[in-house]
Amino acid sequence: MKYLDKCDWLARWREYFLAWYDEGKVDEKAEEAREFSKQYLDSGVVSVSGGKDSMVMLHILSAVKPNLHVFHWDHGPWLMPREIEEEILRNIRLTAPKARLTVEQYRFGWSEKARYDWKPWYRAFFSTLKTLTEELGLKYHLLGVRMEESLRRRSRGRVVEKRFWVEVHPVYYFTWRDIWAYIFKHNVPVPRFYLTYAKTLGWSNVRLTTFHDREFERYGQPTVDGVLMWRFKRQKPHF
Amino acid sequence: MQNMEVVFHLSTPIALGFPWIFFDSLLAHIMIKEEKGERCYSLPSKLPSVEIPRPPLKYWRDVAVASVSIIEPDTGYQIFPFFKRGDYPFPRGKIRRGSGFFKDFYLKAVYVPAQRVRFYATGELDEVARLCRKVSSLGKERNIGFGFVRRVEIREVEGEWGLVKDGLAMRPIPIRYLKSYEDSAFTAYKIPYWARESVDLCCIPFTRVEILG
Repeated sequence: MKYLDKCDWLARWREYFLAWYDEGKVDEKAEEAREFSKQYLDSGVVSVSGGKDSMVMLHILSAVKPNLHVFHWDHGPWLMPREIEEEILRNIRLTAPKARLTVEQYRFGWSEKARYDWKPWYRAFFSTLKTLTEELGLKYHLLGVRMEESLRRRSRGRVVEKRFWVEVHPVYYFTWRDIWAYIFKHNVPVPRFYLTYAKTLGWSNVRLTTFHDREFERYGQPTVDGVLMWRFKRQKPHF
Repeated sequence: MQNMEVVFHLSTPIALGFPWIFFDSLLAHIMIKEEKGERCYSLPSKLPSVEIPRPPLKYWRDVAVASVSIIEPDTGYQIFPFFKRGDYPFPRGKIRRGSGFFKDFYLKAVYVPAQRVRFYATGELDEVARLCRKVSSLGKERNIGFGFVRRVEIREVEGEWGLVKDGLAMRPIPIRYLKSYEDSAFTAYKIPYWARESVDLCCIPFTRVEILG
């Protein structure tokens, strides 16, 4: 995270988040998340997208159990640029070097159609995860979902019984300030594009989603991607 | 063919969907609207089937000698979030606003609070001037007031700066037409800019390049 020290804008925010780390008692929240998750780690798989929440969760949990099961979903080049995907994998390996990492690729993500038709994604993701949990005999699925993110997530609860597994949310009570404070305090590696987006959208609104994806059109995300991530709008033509 | 500089003075900030606006596509759009009128918005299929006219510009190989937008002053991007809600007469009974025809959108417009948008081009000055005077607004989200043009200034300049100016590329140029380049990316370089057939590995505007003789 050496690049985080480079500009004044960032230095000011860094100072703010480091102050918040003490003021917001983030250390206590992390400790609580660690204690809470202990019981689920032996028979659980941790899903890591590479975004800020899941990286913080991975950092917290890898301190409890270094050889935990980590599942990462590669969306394919049309939804997740290869540079960012490689950076995410690097970050995961750096944060949890002893973790048993499983990376599954979304085959449809190698086609441009993946940007327009996102329904196969849900089917592919959940069936892959189901197979994985069955193969490994795991019962718990740990996710970096936070209560603050939406009303739907707030009403979901911290431990949710699902059909094939039990969903557990270790960083459920973290706020966006807590997450960024934890990242700055512990130098948790996150993808660099966060900085570009944070500067324009604000630290509270920046999220890792697939890029140029019509699924998020109703939130205006493709418009923002078109300007900030224009390099990845087009790919090598296949004709 | 004359070398020219076109400056659009704006009265409202300009919203963008891509970091640059292409001058040749702007002229082509005005020409289509002139030819088809409002019919250019009601096409028979999802894919535009109209033949795109050739703007009155000089072409070097298949690249128009027309720069991308130079936005002044460059103050960085800002975000304008807004709701897009259906305000048409709703039918009786229950309707779904979360999905389907009446779906609501929470959108974000990326805008630059700029005062001027400058282009360089080479072409038929009178015809370009006539077309440019028909531009009432630039960029995206013009229906909610972004990118309104106050006035347009067109003047002749000494250099052909539509492709390269002071060693810097002024638009995407395919790297196969370049002797050397600093940076490259897959992007469209000719009209129609939305079509995948127009995409090639190109140099990036405002990076250092050297074109083939």
